Amino acid sequence: MNLKKYLVRALHRLQKGPGYTYKELLVWYCDNTNTHGPKRIIKEGPKKKLIWFFLTLLFASLVFWQWGILINTYLSYNVTSSLSIGFKTMKFPAVTICNANPFKYSEVKPLLKELDRLIEAALERILQPTPGNSTENMSLPLDLELWNQIPLVLIDEHDKDNPIILDIFETNQTAVDNETAMDSRANKKYKLAVKLCSHQGSENCTYRNFSSAAQAVTEWYILQSTSILSKVPLHERIRMGYQAEDMILACLYGAEPCNYKNFTQIYHPDHGNCYIFNWGMDEEALNSSNPGAEFGLKLILDISQQDYIPYLSSAAGARLMLHQQKSFPFLKDQGIYAMAGTETSIGVLVDELERMGYPYSDCTVNGSDVPVRNLYSQYNTSYSIQACLRSCFQTHMVEICGCGHYMFPLPEGVNYCNNEDNPGWAYCYSSLRSSIKQRQICIDSCKETCNDTQYKMTISMADWPSEASEDWIFHILSYERDMSTNVTLDRNGIIKLNIYFQEYNYRTISESAATTIVWLLSSLGGQFGFWMGGSVLCLIEFGEIIIDSLWITIINVISWCKGLKQRRARARFPDSPPTVSELVEAHTNLGFQPEPVGAVPGAPALPPEPGTPPPNYDSLRVQPLDTLGPESDAD
Amino acid sequence: AAAAPGKKITARLKRTLPVRGPQAPTLSELMRWYCLNTNTHGCRRIVVSRGRLRRLLWIVLTLSAVGLILWQCAELLMNYYSASVSVTVQFQKLPFPAVTICNINPYKYSAMKEYLYELDKETKKALETFYGFSEGKSKVRRSVDDWNSTGSDFFEQIPLLKVEDFSRTATELHSGQKRKIEGSVFHKDSSIVNSGDSNDIIGFQLCDANNSSECALYTFSSGVNAIQEWYKLHYMNIMAQIPLEIKEKLSYSAEDLLLTCFFDGLSCDKRHFTRFHHPLHGNCYTFNSGESGTILSTSTGGSEYGLQVVLYIDEADYNPFLVTSTGAKIMVHDQNEYPFIEDIGTEIETAAATSIGMHFTQSRKLSKPYSDCTETGADIPVENLYNKSYSLQICLHSCFQKAMVESCGCAQYAQPLPAGAEYCNYKKNPNWMYCYYRLHEKFVKEQLGCQQICKDACSFKEWALTTSIAQWPSVVSEDWMLRVLSWDKGQKLNKKLNKTDLANLMVFYKDLNERFISENPANTLVILLSNFGGQLGLWMSCSVVCVIEIVEVFFIDSLSIVLRRQWQRAKKWWSGRQQGRAAQATASDVERQGHENPACIDEDLPTFTTALRLPLPQDSPLPRTPPPNYSTLRLETAFTEQLPDTLELSQH
Repeated sequence: MNLKKYLVRALHRLQKGPGYTYKELLVWYCDNTNTHGPKRIIKEGPKKKLIWFFLTLLFASLVFWQWGILINTYLSYNVTSSLSIGFKTMKFPAVTICNANPFKYSEVKPLLKELDRLIEAALERILQPTPGNSTENMSLPLDLELWNQIPLVLIDEHDKDNPIILDIFETNQTAVDNETAMDSRANKKYKLAVKLCSHQGSENCTYRNFSSAAQAVTEWYILQSTSILSKVPLHERIRMGYQAEDMILACLYGAEPCNYKNFTQIYHPDHGNCYIFNWGMDEEALNSSNPGAEFGLKLILDISQQDYIPYLSSAAGARLMLHQQKSFPFLKDQGIYAMAGTETSIGVLVDELERMGYPYSDCTVNGSDVPVRNLYSQYNTSYSIQACLRSCFQTHMVEICGCGHYMFPLPEGVNYCNNEDNPGWAYCYSSLRSSIKQRQICIDSCKETCNDTQYKMTISMADWPSEASEDWIFHILSYERDMSTNVTLDRNGIIKLNIYFQEYNYRTISESAATTIVWLLSSLGGQFGFWMGGSVLCLIEFGEIIIDSLWITIINVISWCKGLKQRRARARFPDSPPTVSELVEAHTNLGFQPEPVGAVPGAPALPPEPGTPPPNYDSLRVQPLDTLGPESDAD
Repeated sequence: AAAAPGKKITARLKRTLPVRGPQAPTLSELMRWYCLNTNTHGCRRIVVSRGRLRRLLWIVLTLSAVGLILWQCAELLMNYYSASVSVTVQFQKLPFPAVTICNINPYKYSAMKEYLYELDKETKKALETFYGFSEGKSKVRRSVDDWNSTGSDFFEQIPLLKVEDFSRTATELHSGQKRKIEGSVFHKDSSIVNSGDSNDIIGFQLCDANNSSECALYTFSSGVNAIQEWYKLHYMNIMAQIPLEIKEKLSYSAEDLLLTCFFDGLSCDKRHFTRFHHPLHGNCYTFNSGESGTILSTSTGGSEYGLQVVLYIDEADYNPFLVTSTGAKIMVHDQNEYPFIEDIGTEIETAAATSIGMHFTQSRKLSKPYSDCTETGADIPVENLYNKSYSLQICLHSCFQKAMVESCGCAQYAQPLPAGAEYCNYKKNPNWMYCYYRLHEKFVKEQLGCQQICKDACSFKEWALTTSIAQWPSVVSEDWMLRVLSWDKGQKLNKKLNKTDLANLMVFYKDLNERFISENPANTLVILLSNFGGQLGLWMSCSVVCVIEIVEVFFIDSLSIVLRRQWQRAKKWWSGRQQGRAAQATASDVERQGHENPACIDEDLPTFTTALRLPLPQDSPLPRTPPPNYSTLRLETAFTEQLPDTLELSQH
């Protein structure tokens, strides 16, 4: 019904012809609009009119230009950061404590016995000036099979272009050659290298050169022991590592005593058994509401340095790391050392960065939108960029080498690499590790988390225990641990740790959007208001005028078409009298269209009084503006 | 004929664009007109309101709105140059910084013996004289054979003194003579001033060579400081005379210092290090200095993927007086930065593995007018003596060196040489030490103006270091480790390395998150204008158009009204004087003149009359009508424009 009514009204309007012309419409608009410029155009004299016309145009273009800038600014999604520093009650960080050495040497000795003998013999050969005696001293034959899987070789670089590769245990090699080579070793032309082959005995081999023999030996030993240990089941590996009750001798959190049972055990491939305090997995995380060492965590650890695996880790100490609750400790990246025989005090400042997610910055809230499967989720830990990178590497490793690396968690249905099953794994791994392309892929596919928490540590150290107190402290601690009256501890193994919040314990940088929709609107409004005093209503007014002028156009076009038809008809009957529409046109548009005015035949016949026509128009004009408009709308 | 087209054009212009003069004849009417027709709110209320109280209220409100606008806009303008800080974190492949490593001891003591022979002898003598301390007990093992030879001149000039503070007498080291101290006494440690037993104060006296009465006595609370400072003074004097090439030979070579090197999982060697001679630390080696054109970068964090070096610190070859600690000094810096290792280096312990985790932060400040910092240092009137990019430290050192060359005539040893200057030494510049100490004191007290001239750099890179230490080598691995390292060193096997001669250093990125802290302008012109617009709109619904209106009405129109009135007055006075009938000029005449604008501006007079002729009757009997005229005209404006056309038509 409504539609019909509307259509009828539209038809009437069409039949009536335009109520006013473009010019009238514009003048009316200028006179009645709320924007400031247009009013001036019609109010003043011609000179000012011109000036105001250009001023209005200029301001309008300025407004549009600046609107463009503002919208662009809004779409660039800038952020502002606010910084807050102070002290508040905060969750005490999770503290992971490991021994730098993964396993007790006494426990893993049976596994590594062959390896140790090999490396000892090799060192003997390398270091001893006369190669003869060392081999004779060996009572047992060496397990050369293990050696041949990944051998160490000497590279003679006397002749730079033509280096000679000497296998250390190849006794067949002419002894004379060897001997002369040994003599000139003082010139330091020899290098130790690890020979890595894609298959045993194949020609596809690379030599990993090392400038230092110490480095080469360590690297070789790590490769070999990794292969051996990867075959050992996990519970066995945990058993071989350091037990909590042996390692954590005393614990005090604030005023409350704690013991090794408050620590969560986790098996870390680099460091064996690690113990995490306040991980927040089973129970609520502890809060600390006071700054200072008295209210922090105090620990006494024993790392029993005598039981270290000699070739695996040359640095001795505890490895510790502060991290967020429910996150996996990546000790190689963020961990710090604590030296034996010292008291290490660590003041903590929590440095937080809270970022807005998409579209403000490219970060991930929980890692669910990252294309890499998080292998560390088996520990129930949250996403972190380190976890992502390692998962990415392990996935590549499984894809390319067919087995997983011992240092990272395994995807389902894959085994760890070892020399027997995957003879070329070391070669594959080392080429993958040094591949820049692979790293770049991982960097590109991993995203950082939006909430980045770092623990800034102020580390200080002092000797502990003091010489005067050494005696009784060792006695008590030995008694408590081993129930023995003998001292079972020594300076080389004992570590005291104090971890506490500093006076200012947090520094939070949080982001907020610099440009919100409210900001955008108020800026747009400000611009429009500043140049032209306009508002949204003014825009609507303008839209109205455009619709009106469209109507006028439509009506004009229709009447023009009608006119065309009639002219054709008139061409057929040239003597026809003026039609009704022509008369109507004359009534409505007489004064405003110059062309029909010239064609009006009755013009010279009008009375010669110049004063009369204006009132005529006047009344006409007033009608369309006020009375005609509403009337036509009303019916 | 030539002037005719020009005249025609002007005539046409005048006809098409006639000047009508101000909107109202008098000031008060102009104001009324303005208030009624302006686009700003408030003003209209003043005119429209009825009753004095209401009008007053509206005047107060409007004025306070104007005041508020002015205040708020001033506030906006003042805060225009403020910056907002944004922190972005980017996870990416990071360029590895340059790592400069120095041995704490600058030169091999065994090689330096011939240069330092005299000085050491003097020092030992001083120890013996003052502390009755014989050589056997000390750690100083290097015997000086010619114990009896006489000391050279310049040691006598600046001898160590034992000062008795109260009597102001000093015992000289050589002669044992007591002498009175003249001049001012400088205490290097101010704490000694209140110590009661100041008998054994050791110090030295520096005198102006030209004027021996002007002396400065430097005393120290502890003999350790006194002797070290005194030793350093002479040591610099000696070193200043040795050319650079020889000094480089006297110091440690890369093979000497670096035992093993490992970077990003690959082996590296001395070719990756660049030598750099530091005046106080001898030969230093910079890893990844970027001199070869490539800067190494890491794409994996963690200790395995950083730089791992084992340093050989030959403790036995240390200078006993110059340095008293053992180890190495390292500094992490940008490739373009000069390493001020003596100022901000980190010390590395021997027999330990020092692990240094880095976190990279880059900061950028806005330069002028937001803050007083410099982008490149080019706008600072201090010549950069270091061949590196600008930093505050470089500027301060260069500034001091410049002042030193200007006032002492020679350059200080610890800083680079400016063009045409040479290092101070006692033979050529006998006065330099006194001069230097004086100048240095001035510098510290900020009297040289260096601290005022030098500005901080706008952008800087910072590597936050987390340093931790572990025992190395561990008890069980010590044996094989030392053996293998000895083999590496290529020494004879009977001389096994000592673990206190070794230091293990690991420098790595903790994570590859780069923090970039930058300042951005908080306001742009667009935002400032929007804020202005917001303020104007909020209080008065005003815009630039209103401002132009105000300018038009209050300046141009009122000025023209005032001028016209003055002109008429002058004219009246003139005609009155001429014709002697001033009394005839009635007040109504003046008003009519104002309304009809007959005498507004002379040039436009004809146009006015022509313009006025058509719409207005020739002689309006009531001059007071025009103001209402305007308002009615306003309603009709749309048609007035059409009038002439139709009129013309009808006349045809």
